[in-house]
Amino acid sequence: MVAYSAQRNAETVSLVGVVCTAAMLTAALYLIFVWAPNELTMGVVQRIFYFHVPSAFTAFLAFTIGGIASIQYLHRRENRYDSLSVACNEVGLVFAVVNLLTGMLWAKPVWGVYWAWDARLTTMLLLALIYGGYLILRSSIDDDNRRAICCAVVSIFGMVDIPIVYMANRWWRTQHPQPVMFDSAGGLDVNMRVVLYCTFVAMCALLWVMVRSRSRLEDLRRESDALRREVYAR
Amino acid sequence: MEENLKWLWYAFGTAWVLHVLYLGSLLIRTKKLEQQLQNLKALIEENDRKT
Repeated sequence: MVAYSAQRNAETVSLVGVVCTAAMLTAALYLIFVWAPNELTMGVVQRIFYFHVPSAFTAFLAFTIGGIASIQYLHRRENRYDSLSVACNEVGLVFAVVNLLTGMLWAKPVWGVYWAWDARLTTMLLLALIYGGYLILRSSIDDDNRRAICCAVVSIFGMVDIPIVYMANRWWRTQHPQPVMFDSAGGLDVNMRVVLYCTFVAMCALLWVMVRSRSRLEDLRRESDALRREVYAR
Repeated sequence: MEENLKWLWYAFGTAWVLHVLYLGSLLIRTKKLEQQLQNLKALIEENDRKT
């Protein structure tokens, strides 16, 4: 009875979360395409900024939570931390790929090329490749404990790259513009800053929905593996 | 202006297509695993009944 009630509560929280996320994303779209002012130099294409930048920060947030969950897993050896870690890292990779692709599609009309091998772009690509490798490693180890330990180490290693990506355009001269988020000297218009932060909040909500679903998938996979072992053991 | 608008739609479309594809893949993988779990539970119950 208690388990059933807890499951019902979890389903209600999920449903409310999905509805709220959809509402926030709709509001963010309105702000991006209707409310935000046009940028003077680049014009309408600058609006790519409102999903390019929050995608990067949502990916950073996901990878950081994934890294912390990995440290917790190595410390406590509880499967729920491994589930959280894989969920955050996989979803974070989706946001990182969105960031890279939208960046390329923004660079083409503004820089004239899709890609420049500058420090910011290269370190971000490296970050995405680390987590791509993480997922390949995850699918290539059969033993649950070994897989979780190896992946936790890679996840922590990936987390270390995040400050390097963030600081890349401060430490090295890059074609990529200087940071505007969490930076008072960014020179961003107040209305643009409001839209940027609102979109970031909406993307964090989307991250939460995706991470919950992916964690559940991992729990189901673990349950399925345990049952399969039970069947073969008989 | 229109040339720039094209790039905005490409970027916007790419972002949402990727998110929707990922959410779709999550749903499909979850349904598959739920089906596998049901089959395994049924198999175990059948084995229990036989023994």
